[in-house]
Amino acid sequence: MIHHVLVLVRSELRNERRSGEVATVVIPFGAVAVLIIPMAVGIDRPLLSQIGPGLFWAIVLLFGIVVTQRQSGAAERPQHDLLTLLGVDPAARFAATAIASFVLLVAFEVAIGAITMVLYDPVVIGWGWLAVVLPMVAAGLAMIGTIAASVTSGLGGRGALAPLLVAPIAIPLLLGAAQATEGLRVGAGILRWVLVLAVVDVLLALTGVLTARPLEES
Amino acid sequence: MTDWGWVAFAYTLVYGTLIGYVTSLVMRTRRANGEATRR
Amino acid sequence: MKRTIEVAAVGSVLIACVAGLAVPPDSVQGDLQRIMYVHVPSAWLAYLAFGITLIGSVGYLVTDKLRWDRLAGSSAEVGVVFTGLALATGSIWGKPVWGVWWTWDARLVLTAAMFFVYLAYLALRRSVDGAERRAQRSAIFGIVAALQIPVVHFSVIWWRGLHQPPTILRPDNPQIDPPLLFALLLAVFAFTLVYVALLNRRIDLAVAEDLLTDAPRADEHVAGAAVTAPQLGDWR
Repeated sequence: MIHHVLVLVRSELRNERRSGEVATVVIPFGAVAVLIIPMAVGIDRPLLSQIGPGLFWAIVLLFGIVVTQRQSGAAERPQHDLLTLLGVDPAARFAATAIASFVLLVAFEVAIGAITMVLYDPVVIGWGWLAVVLPMVAAGLAMIGTIAASVTSGLGGRGALAPLLVAPIAIPLLLGAAQATEGLRVGAGILRWVLVLAVVDVLLALTGVLTARPLEES
Repeated sequence: MTDWGWVAFAYTLVYGTLIGYVTSLVMRTRRANGEATRR
Repeated sequence: MKRTIEVAAVGSVLIACVAGLAVPPDSVQGDLQRIMYVHVPSAWLAYLAFGITLIGSVGYLVTDKLRWDRLAGSSAEVGVVFTGLALATGSIWGKPVWGVWWTWDARLVLTAAMFFVYLAYLALRRSVDGAERRAQRSAIFGIVAALQIPVVHFSVIWWRGLHQPPTILRPDNPQIDPPLLFALLLAVFAFTLVYVALLNRRIDLAVAEDLLTDAPRADEHVAGAAVTAPQLGDWR
């Protein structure tokens, strides 16, 4: 089964490289958001520096959902049917799509993070812990996005439905990441927020794997 | 607005919504049953 | 039985309403306290309905019987009404008391988050055709969401931990006088009966709608392919 997962991950990432959706569409979309917010709230430097980190996480969450709903995902009908015919374990399929989304989301976070650093000039302390928080958020978002894609697969006009399903459930990810970032800046304890992220990730992994087969049958 | 004004606002909203929702349920059920008998 | 519940619901609501308006005003909040007699029951039912939706979702996945899904879906629709009312009455209470329509009080934020989860769940139900498919997908989303709710709960409370509003002016003052407490409990009881009555009616509607789309009912024995011939577009 691990073999299946690895093969699928590689194939999804290859598909994504071919379509280039994340690199050419979603990252620019997120970057535009980073750019236009100061046009709305004002270019007061201290203000932007203060809201920068929080805004980064909000954009990662809201726009990152789009990454998990990409066309190259295995929830899409043709890939889905083919894999079912080949007898691939649905749990393996969930894991593979989630891992592929995770990789793409980390890339998304890095790209948007760089743009945020440049445009907002925030004070960032604790790069070590941030290097832990970033992938934890990406993992959680990848899993919940994958579940949402499966639950809404095959529905005409999926549009904003999957993002709507993801957003409220992703609140702990946002709170954990934003509070951890802020905590690092002021020197407060951040262990509880890392714990929140860990619990979310573990719960999502369990539910994703356990619901993969029932979802398969619907 | 006086305190009683706020209370009246809240009560009107709540009971009005509940009555409205019951009414919509009754109408929707009637419509569904009506269509079923027509088939 | 259903008729009895409905009559009891209307009756107890009337009594609760009178009680809420007749009891003396609160020593601190004054007459504004009376808003709590609709706010607290609404909030209680928002959470109860959510729990029932979860039970229905689990019930469907375990038994494969559509009646559990109807319970889940109906409870969600009734629940979203009460959640909306809880938020609205909370705001209406907050404006004269705190001077603002919204504060980032942990409970308000949690109720708002739950409201959006409800809306998402109902939106999902509306987009899926076919009773079984809808039931399956809704149940799964319902459970995923429900498992995350405790985490949302703690993360929001930890987030707001340092910023609680002054104790005396909190929505449910623990030092409440007995007559006021009685009015409150009466209101909670009345609203619970209303919830049950509404739930019954909504489930009846769900049954009627399912009959309309010719989905086989959980307790019906299907005669064979001639009766449930696949409909066009059902290949998914």
